Amino acid sequence: MKRIYNIISVVVVFATLLLPSKLMAADAKTTAEVCWSEGIAAYEAKEYSEAVRCFEQVAELGYTSADLYYNLANSYFKLGEQHAEEGNRKFSGGELGRAVLNYHRALREDPALEDARYNLELAVDYTNDTEPLPESFIVTLWRGARDTATSNSWAIASLVLFGLMLGLIIFYLLSNNIALRKLSFFAALLLFVGFIFSTTFALSSRSDVEHDNRAVVICSDTTPVHASPESGSKVIRQPSQGVTVRALREHGEWSEISFADGEKGWIRSSKLEKI
Amino acid sequence: MLVALLTTVATWAQVSFKADVPTIVALGQPFRIEFSVDAEPERDSFKAPEFAGFDVLAGPSVSTGHSVQFINGKKSASYSCTYTYVLMPTEAGKYTIGAATVTVEDKRYTTEPQRIEVIAEKESERPQQGSGKAHGSTSAESRISKDDILLRLKVSDTDVYKGEAIRASLVLYTRVSIADVSDINIPSFDGFWSQDLSFDNAPSREEYNGRIYETHKITELLLSPQQSGRITIPAATMSVRTPVEVQSNRGFDPFFGGRQIHYVTKNLSSKPVTIDVKEFPQGAPRSFKGAVGDFRISSSMPNSEIECNSADQLELTISGSGNLKFITAPKLSLPDSFEVYDTKIVDNIKASASGTSGSITYTYPFVARSAGEFTIAPIEFSFFDPATGEYNSLRTEPFTIMVEDDGSSVTQSVVGNYTNYGSTMRQLDRDIRYIHIGLLPDVAGSVVIFSPIYWLVVVVLVAIFVVLYILLRKRIRDNRNIVARRMKRADKVAIQRLRMAERSMGEGNRHAFYEEMLRAMWGYISDKFNIPQSNLTKETIREELFRRGVAMAVAEEFCEIISRSEEAQYAPSTDGEMGVVYADAIDVISKIEDVVKH
Repeated sequence: MKRIYNIISVVVVFATLLLPSKLMAADAKTTAEVCWSEGIAAYEAKEYSEAVRCFEQVAELGYTSADLYYNLANSYFKLGEQHAEEGNRKFSGGELGRAVLNYHRALREDPALEDARYNLELAVDYTNDTEPLPESFIVTLWRGARDTATSNSWAIASLVLFGLMLGLIIFYLLSNNIALRKLSFFAALLLFVGFIFSTTFALSSRSDVEHDNRAVVICSDTTPVHASPESGSKVIRQPSQGVTVRALREHGEWSEISFADGEKGWIRSSKLEKI
Repeated sequence: MLVALLTTVATWAQVSFKADVPTIVALGQPFRIEFSVDAEPERDSFKAPEFAGFDVLAGPSVSTGHSVQFINGKKSASYSCTYTYVLMPTEAGKYTIGAATVTVEDKRYTTEPQRIEVIAEKESERPQQGSGKAHGSTSAESRISKDDILLRLKVSDTDVYKGEAIRASLVLYTRVSIADVSDINIPSFDGFWSQDLSFDNAPSREEYNGRIYETHKITELLLSPQQSGRITIPAATMSVRTPVEVQSNRGFDPFFGGRQIHYVTKNLSSKPVTIDVKEFPQGAPRSFKGAVGDFRISSSMPNSEIECNSADQLELTISGSGNLKFITAPKLSLPDSFEVYDTKIVDNIKASASGTSGSITYTYPFVARSAGEFTIAPIEFSFFDPATGEYNSLRTEPFTIMVEDDGSSVTQSVVGNYTNYGSTMRQLDRDIRYIHIGLLPDVAGSVVIFSPIYWLVVVVLVAIFVVLYILLRKRIRDNRNIVARRMKRADKVAIQRLRMAERSMGEGNRHAFYEEMLRAMWGYISDKFNIPQSNLTKETIREELFRRGVAMAVAEEFCEIISRSEEAQYAPSTDGEMGVVYADAIDVISKIEDVVKH
């Protein structure tokens, strides 16, 4: 009897811990839902500026899901393309940079969002971004495995694996049958390895997000990058909108950035938007 | 009889009864109205309408005419009968002259009612005819006032959209007779695309500034503005000579030509006209290329099934009214494996007073280079309708074309850099993937890894583990004790059974003896090694004993005793055998007990 009481109390504690994240002001939620469906309808009707406005409004209400950023990025991209049909230059309103930024944000929320990865690759083709420095094979492998799921998915997986492992250990400790004991021992060992990996993936994915210093160049065309934080200094590069850089430090109105190929320079902070 | 009938029919067919009424008359000036019929009416059958608002000064005066002509041996007779009235308007306003009726050969004919407008003319600056005492050419000139002859450029609309056609006519208005005109100078219509129209140059009457003029059209054009903004059409000029009768200054008797005719030359010039040309409103569809008017489109494809590498064509017809001449061929997008050739354009455009209308047919020839089923996307054509001020987009139906493999596509497909679909599929184009549709995703959850919840779950899992372990271990231990007890009991039970067998042996009951023997043997193994009896065979006993370290020979012996007992149970056997089996069984069980100790 006491045990049942304990279980119930644990469940109650759980529920109270999970609840606050689910609770939102009810009207804000309906506003967001209306904006969201309006945004989708506008996109379907090729009214991309309206779609951008709606999705941005949802984002302002505090929604940070991968799908939202993905849709927002798509709307920016299509809006930029529409300029070409009206006789202007493609992406003349800085839409490409915004699109790249939001694809990055979508992938930050869900690294497994294949569509966002595909579209980002396509959008980056329009920029003059440099080839990144070659990565070691192991890092690529590690990242590829890690980015098949979100940090939270890995964390939940690690808990499940941990529970299963404990179950198998009980089996191992209490079973009479030698064959079963052997089997459960190795299975538990395997689960332990899995547990370690998933925990590490969850942690690494999280820390990448927390220490993410990537930023995207936002401008209408291209913007100069100087050798030092003063406008009189030499212009070393002229990145286009949508080029992804790492922001290293700030100095007044200037930010030091490093490009994918390792080159460093100074850019006006207003031309950067952090992912 | 038949001939008579035919003639009647012929006569009926020819009869027309018309009223000739001026559309506009001046107050206080008499005018004529004529009703004419071209067949012989029955006597007194003519009935004139009421002339309300008019005084009948004279009439009806009837005049008849009859003529017979022979042309190339064919006789044609014509007859006419005209009833003429002279009326005087009594009051300004709009009136309707009602229908007049006449009977010809027992059939009644009526005229259409005619509208007539009576206007009160302004007092003319011109001196009254006849009272003029002017002499010479200078005085003659003064007798023609500037209101008597006018040149006007009339446009149908002064506020139009770019490309919307307007009608412009240069009209001479006159109240005096004209001898001749010269030096007609039609202005250049800069900013317009102009087209001459054919027009009816019969003079007509028109009211302008409160006076009635006789009008002569000099030219009529269709103008369509090519640029937006205010466009001014400069003045048109011309010279007119009019005859003026003046009193001779030589004092001759008027009867002998005391009046002389002077010719006065007037230089006329029309007022410049300004046209406001509006730019198209915002929100033009993408397929809008400057077509203005009202159009319809239709498309056709003669063959929907063709062979590979053979030619086919798609026809698009745009018909309607508007600036057809300036329409550019709508774009046809064909599948990638189609080779497109130059578009042929055939137009059938007529210019009329209401604008150009007609149709243009575009023929898009193409050659299909690879086999398969293809869909030709709809052609979109947009135009601006100035009547509604809106853009309209029209689309044709999509066509499906079946291109059949003629066998040569493999060899020929190399031509023109087109691969046939036997090779790998080609990436034609790339675009971003579509947005994600569905419900609004929830706010992203907070971080799970190493969060309090995470640790809580870990702790709960470990707690469950510990509790389960303790509970289960206790139960396992209890189970083990039961097994141990049963094992301890094993030889005791076996011995009890053996004793019962011994008793049966003493009674000489063979069957009961062997039955007890078997029960003792099986039961012993089952209890000893904690194996259910149903799972036991001699084979498993042998294995189990061997596994527990019992010598092979002993295990064999144990099994052999079971076999012997089974056989002996029903077989006739000597009595001494029972004692041997009993002794062997006790011997074997004690041997096993020595090895397997618990």
